[in-house]
Amino acid sequence: MTTAGQTAVAAAACLAVASSAIVLADDSTRITRITHMEDSSSDRMPSVTAVPQYPEIARRDRIEGEATVCYTIDADGRICRPAVRRSSHKMFAKPALKAIKKSSYEPLQSNQEATVARTCRTFRFLLKPVAIEEIE
Amino acid sequence: MSGPAAFALALVTTVLLIPVAWSEENKVVIGPRNLDLADGAQELLAGNAREGIELTLRGLQSAQGKREKEAALSNLCAGYIMIDKLDSALMYCNMLLLSNDRHWRGFNNRALIYVMRKEYEKAEKDLAMGQEINPNARTLKVVKGMFLDATHPVSPNIIIDDRKRKNAEVSVKEES
Repeated sequence: MTTAGQTAVAAAACLAVASSAIVLADDSTRITRITHMEDSSSDRMPSVTAVPQYPEIARRDRIEGEATVCYTIDADGRICRPAVRRSSHKMFAKPALKAIKKSSYEPLQSNQEATVARTCRTFRFLLKPVAIEEIE
Repeated sequence: MSGPAAFALALVTTVLLIPVAWSEENKVVIGPRNLDLADGAQELLAGNAREGIELTLRGLQSAQGKREKEAALSNLCAGYIMIDKLDSALMYCNMLLLSNDRHWRGFNNRALIYVMRKEYEKAEKDLAMGQEINPNARTLKVVKGMFLDATHPVSPNIIIDDRKRKNAEVSVKEES
C-alpha cells in the first residue's frame, strides 16, 4: 500500500470491523475518513473491504451522494455479479463498483452452507468541513 | 511549478485563438491574420509562457479590431499567471474587462489571480460574474473549486453501510 493509502487508512474511523481489512480502491492523495457499519446479522464476514475514491470532480463541486452495489458471495468469499442498484449521481457509480470488485469475504467454513441471496453495500460519499488551520 | 501556478498551465486553454482563415472579395488568405498573436497562443498552450508572452505583446501592438485586442489581453493575463507575475496579469485582465465586461475568461483569470493573492471576496465576485455569463465553463468550475478549497475546505468522508436497508433507514432518520 502506498504512503497515501497508509495515511488514509490510519485516518479511518472503523466501527465493528475487527476482522476485516480496509483498503483503498484507488491510490488517493487525500485523507479520507472511513466509517464501516456492518450488518451483525450477516453470516458472511468481510475479509477485504475496499473503499472507493471520492470522485475528484464531485469533491471540487461539493457534490455529496450515495451508491448501492448488490452482489452475491461465493463459497470462497469472492464477489460475483456485482451491479449498481442505484446511484444518486452517475459520478459515484463507477468508484462504488470498483471498490466492490476489489472487496472479498472470508471463505465459508466446512460446516457452513452458502446462501445464494444477493447482498448489497451502500457507499455514502460525504464531505466534512475542515478547519483551515488543519490544511495549512 | 505547483499549486495554483501549475493550474495556470491548464488555464491557458482559455486563450483565444484568432481565426485561421478568412476571405476578402477574390483574395483568400489561409492562416491567421495576426501571426504573432496566433504563435503566442500556441506557445502558451504548449506551456512556454515567456515565449508566448513575448509574441503576444508583439501581437497586441499590431492587433486590428476589438476581438484581436481582447484575445491578446486575455492571453497576456493567462501568460503572466503562468509565470506567477500576478501584478502584470492583473493589469492585463483589468484592461480586458474594461474593454469588455462580458468576457467570462477575463473574470475567470482575474478570479484565479485573486485566489492566489488570497483576496477571496474579490475572487468570489468575479466567479459569480463569470458563471453568470457562462454557467457551464469548466475552467470556472475549477477556479471555483480552488476558491472553495481555500475558503471552505472539506475532506472526503465515506461511509460503508452493510446494514440491511430497513435498519439503515432507521439509523439515518435518527442521525438527522
